[in-house]
Amino acid sequence: MTQAVLALQHIDKQFGHGHTAVTALTDANFEVSAGQFVAIIGPSGSGKSTFLTIAAGLQTPTKGQVLLNGTELAAQSEKARLAYRFNEIGFILQSSNLIPFLNVTEQLKLVDKMAKRPFQKDRAAQLLKELALSDVATAYPSELSGGERQRVAIVRALYNDPSVILADEPTASLDTPRSIDVVERLANEAHQHQKAIVMVTHDQRLIGNCDVVYQIEDGVMTRQKG
Amino acid sequence: MYLGLKEMRHEKLRYTLLSGVLLLIALVVFMLAGLANGLSNGNRQAVDAWQARTVYLNKNANQTMSASQLKLADQKKLSGKQIAPLASLSGTLRTTNNHLKTTASAFGTSRTSFLMPKLVSGHQINGKNQVLISADLKAAGYKLGQKVRIGTTKQTVKIVGTYGKSTYMIAPTLYTDIATMNRLKGAPITSGDQQTVNGFVTKESSFKNAKHGDLEKLSIATFINKLPGYSAEQLTLNTMIYFLFVIALAIIGIFMFVLTLQKQPLFGVLKVQGIGTGHILAALLTQSIAMAVIGIVLGLGITVGLAQIMPAGLPFVVNWAQFGGYSLALLAASVVGALLSWRTVAKIDPAVAIG
Ligand SMILES: Nc1ncnc2c1ncn2[C@@H]1O[C@H](COP(=O)(O)OP(=O)(O)O)[C@@H](O)[C@H]1O
Ligand SMILES: [Mg+2]
Repeated sequence: MTQAVLALQHIDKQFGHGHTAVTALTDANFEVSAGQFVAIIGPSGSGKSTFLTIAAGLQTPTKGQVLLNGTELAAQSEKARLAYRFNEIGFILQSSNLIPFLNVTEQLKLVDKMAKRPFQKDRAAQLLKELALSDVATAYPSELSGGERQRVAIVRALYNDPSVILADEPTASLDTPRSIDVVERLANEAHQHQKAIVMVTHDQRLIGNCDVVYQIEDGVMTRQKG
Repeated sequence: MYLGLKEMRHEKLRYTLLSGVLLLIALVVFMLAGLANGLSNGNRQAVDAWQARTVYLNKNANQTMSASQLKLADQKKLSGKQIAPLASLSGTLRTTNNHLKTTASAFGTSRTSFLMPKLVSGHQINGKNQVLISADLKAAGYKLGQKVRIGTTKQTVKIVGTYGKSTYMIAPTLYTDIATMNRLKGAPITSGDQQTVNGFVTKESSFKNAKHGDLEKLSIATFINKLPGYSAEQLTLNTMIYFLFVIALAIIGIFMFVLTLQKQPLFGVLKVQGIGTGHILAALLTQSIAMAVIGIVLGLGITVGLAQIMPAGLPFVVNWAQFGGYSLALLAASVVGALLSWRTVAKIDPAVAIG
């Protein structure tokens, strides 16, 4: 068995203290390997977003370990975690992933600017083509449809060639046909480019393409499929 | 850089307006500075032309030349090079037919003294009752060979030479010798070393010995600061300029802060993507520096343009070194203003962007 790209072990997460404390996650265990498309499904308020922010190093767990390529995340400095987020993690949010004053190509250029390297023109063109966005390469986010925006967010997440892509309800703002389209493209990227992709959703109909499915309810995670 | 400039290009109206506000502030700073320089110049231009280091006045004169009375013989109490007696008279210059009237500052000094200005036309004073006039007076219509009166006496003097621009206490200057000056003042003694003068102006000098009677030694800088109204004027105008720096800082600070509050969700998304506080602050700094540079450059351009078309009577002097310094101060105010949002940017929690 290949080593997990991202693994979370015995994660607890509590917000607040005493009798006002909210437990968002209880003893969550999770792993994803390269080339896997994993879904985390659960109702609203079940702890899905909390889980993703911990996986991304945006929050520290109350207990437990986050291992990225075998390295413990909590042991790193804030600066290292920022670099880790930039280099190793691609994030796709529900909406408003994109910077309103940059056109589609410039969203990608920004990634290169931050990484202090020249614009990867061919890579950008190829990814935009893969996600059927070549025609809108110079459009601003406000000129795109919801589906196009989420596809741009996928391109943007993939562009930096991260180990893991974390998508938090990427289809929440889309209708069903577009949601299915976006999910199929995510599955495709995982399988074709050997990416580890984790998608959070509350929509049962979208998990057909997933290799592994975790169910989460009231902060308790159980592996369901795969 | 990239983020900041791209946003400015996309939000042209917003950033043009703020650049416009900075432009207005810069314009007022430069105009006030130009006027302050003009007033300062109007007060001291003649003094600067002397290129002297020290002035001796009567110690009871409260360091003011017009109130100081000394005798020509007092020069014996001083030793050193280039010591010039100086008598001054502020009065109305007028032609004998009264067609021209101008408030002027008249100076009397010895005919060969270093205070005598370099002539542009005519000849140096070589006889009784001759005066030299500045270019400002020439421009006002006074001519070589003309007979004029100064002050309240009937004494007439003849214009024999003209020199460059020169003003003292906001009035154009003219020069004559000590004896003529005393005749113009109606003084009882108009020859010899018992004549009155107001002071001595020197390049390098000291008191001959500890006993120097009523004489007091002033540096040129003190002498200028003691010109009536001079320091009050300069202080007023300079205070206004310094306040404008604070206002520029506050405007940039408030504007950037409001924008930062507005853009918190966007900054949260950037942080999720691993673009940290440093990069976001760099974008804010880029924007405020860009706006300040646009405002300052245009403000300078407009100021210099206005200076060309200003009426001659308005004292206005462009001092590039000073304007450069004020530009840097405005730039610094903008940078500090942008940095005021630092805490807010740093506190934005990327986890909130996910929700
Ligand atoms: N910063 C926080 N402070 C307090 N409680 C929080 C915070 N974030 C999340 N929670 C709580 O944790 C639980 C899980 O939230 P979340 O992970 O956002 O759920 P989901 O994404 O599945 O809708 C909820 O009860 C929520 O109220
Ligand atoms: Mg959520």
